[in-house]
Amino acid sequence: MSGLVQAWGLLLPETFLSSPFVAVLATFVAINTVMYLSLAVAKLLPKVYVSDYLQGANRRSENRSIHPHDPV
Amino acid sequence: MGRFQRAVGVMILGTAVLGGLLLWLAVSSTQHHGGQAPREWFVLGLWQVLYDTAAPSSGELLAATGMALLFAAGVALLERRISNRSRRSEDLDRLPLAPKIVMAETRGVFHGPVTITVLVPAHNEAACIADTLRSLQSQSHRPERIIVVADNCSDATEDIAAAMGVEVFPTVGNTRKKAGALNQALREVLPRQGENDLVMVMDADTVLDDGFLEAAVRRMTADRGLIAIGGLFYGESGKGLLGQFQRNEYARYAREMERRRGRVFVLTGTASVFRPRALRTVAAERGRALPGVPGDVYDTIALTEDNELTLALKSLGGLMISPPDCTVVTEVMPTWKALWVQRLRWQRGALENLGAYGTTPQTFRYWAQQLGIGYGVIALASYLVLVTLMMVSLDQWVWFPFWVGIGVVFGIERIVSVWRAGPAGRLLGATLIPELVFAMFLNVVYVKGIIDISLAKSASWEHDDVAGAPVPVEPAVLERAA
Repeated sequence: MSGLVQAWGLLLPETFLSSPFVAVLATFVAINTVMYLSLAVAKLLPKVYVSDYLQGANRRSENRSIHPHDPV
Repeated sequence: MGRFQRAVGVMILGTAVLGGLLLWLAVSSTQHHGGQAPREWFVLGLWQVLYDTAAPSSGELLAATGMALLFAAGVALLERRISNRSRRSEDLDRLPLAPKIVMAETRGVFHGPVTITVLVPAHNEAACIADTLRSLQSQSHRPERIIVVADNCSDATEDIAAAMGVEVFPTVGNTRKKAGALNQALREVLPRQGENDLVMVMDADTVLDDGFLEAAVRRMTADRGLIAIGGLFYGESGKGLLGQFQRNEYARYAREMERRRGRVFVLTGTASVFRPRALRTVAAERGRALPGVPGDVYDTIALTEDNELTLALKSLGGLMISPPDCTVVTEVMPTWKALWVQRLRWQRGALENLGAYGTTPQTFRYWAQQLGIGYGVIALASYLVLVTLMMVSLDQWVWFPFWVGIGVVFGIERIVSVWRAGPAGRLLGATLIPELVFAMFLNVVYVKGIIDISLAKSASWEHDDVAGAPVPVEPAVLERAA
């Protein structure tokens, strides 16, 4: 008898949510959301520039000023 | 429009769809069980709450995180590699604006102090030109010359400008909008500019923050190799919720630019400063290494001429920066319709520029950006489908702790990333859903842009009439995903 009584939402039966399609869609959405979440969290954290920690990486080899006699 | 240009949108969206399809197939090839029935929980023993512990497996979570970070790091590393190659290049023929070449040509000679000539293209800007000019005249470093390029004005723009003591350059027979007007003015101005006599191009609906020019002069004095400086723009106050959406977007863009240490996406048309050498070289390379008419600085065919000029300068190896001390306040669109027209033009312009330049190392970042937005369309749309299916299938509200957790982290990110937009911006960010709706709106514009370019539908400039004023040109704010 219980098979005759089914919970319905606005348009679809609740059992629709346990169909394989919805399961795949839910995982697809979950993976995408986690991907965007990882990017969002990565953008929250301070950005590390490796070159800041390498000696000489940012050293000027010559004077770049428009004044030719400025120190390097 | 060439075939390649028409195919650009389809190529980008097609690649994004293919990526989505591959992920879908990978997901469906693994076993998926239908969800368990929601459990009951009585809050304080009284209030019944249904919850569902469904969540992806740890393997799926790890794979998703890894994929996203790998993609982001890959794009960033490649971009860095490409820009470093330009910075070190000595290839005079292909990259004549590369810093090593510019420095070699200016070594040991003092070409005079840095001066600034500002060009303000204006088409019936009587309502705002005075504010724009005042912001220039009150700078701590005042520009040596201010020239209002009056393009087919039928209002009091020219009179106001003249009364404020600036030069007025009326265009003659110009039918090529802003780019055409600027080309006419530059043809007059450029030949007389020395090596360090900078040219600044600034929209008439933009107000310069104090200190902009001082910082620009300081940087251009300190670095001979630097050929352009782009402004960082913030949205003006007002225009309600729609204005706040745009202010939040601009605030995030400015934050991202700071994190990039000013590495330029787009030299904004709202306010950018150029060494004359840069503009002369672009004009000389058009019809050869660059698209466009020989002798023109701006490509009059491009819908987004500032984005096009950025690509031109990057393609020639130029070193440019958008520093945090060069900020401008720009107009925000007052209506959804005006915003729609503005963004459609940016999107269409960005795609057309990519089509015109093709797949080169310098355009790699922009292709990746478009692909990122394309995939974002798929991700957001599938999310909305799932949420809708849930809402029409559940007869009672069910909480999903996993998704609530994700929502909380996103909420934090939305607040922190928009911190500088002030309390209203943070509040809007924290509420999540409205910004999701705004993102969906931009996604629809993106898809419409791709459809239009694929069908070669003629692009329009109707924004001038819709918004009541020309819009700032800045496709890079479309940057959301990559």
